[in-house]
Amino acid sequence: MSAQARKEALRFLFEPVIDKLGYKFTPVEEDAEFLLEQEAILEAGTGVPYCPCQARTKDRAENMRMVCPCIPFHRAHYDAMRRCWCGLFVHKDVTDPDKLKQFPESKIGK
Amino acid sequence: MKKVTIYALSTCLWCKKTRKYFEDKKIEFEAVDYDKQDEARQEELMAEMRAAGGTGSFPFVKIGGASTQGYDPEEFEKLLYNK
Repeated sequence: MSAQARKEALRFLFEPVIDKLGYKFTPVEEDAEFLLEQEAILEAGTGVPYCPCQARTKDRAENMRMVCPCIPFHRAHYDAMRRCWCGLFVHKDVTDPDKLKQFPESKIGK
Repeated sequence: MKKVTIYALSTCLWCKKTRKYFEDKKIEFEAVDYDKQDEARQEELMAEMRAAGGTGSFPFVKIGGASTQGYDPEEFEKLLYNK
């Protein structure tokens, strides 16, 4: 499968999952394309579409918490940012993702 | 000017935006791609990030003796200029 076809497949697979979680793909198409491409590359190398903005370690359980879409594992944090960490997904009501802040979980509510 | 170091992933969009922020401001920085390091160095970097209260999420930016996680220009300015 080509990288482009895999990106489209990932979109198809993720969409119903994130929809039920109250999220959608970022409307910034350039960002979505870049992030999906990185996930397709990571998946080709590891077999898993990991988040491109979180690091894997030797801890498998920890790594599983960053398999896209990783929203359920970081729900309070991502809901506070109204986006996931890498920004591939945003809350459904978000129209301008550039206005959203990316902050660590430790800063929720601060 | 305070020393700036960016810990990044080569696959990370916000790491690229962080680099661009400092490039546009003409602020010198050192960038370290975590995923391009060997295992021992990765463990060192992760231990350093966790000791500073961070997680395995990137970018992780050190400015002077402080650090922050995520692409946050407001926070970068605070740390750069003690705002």
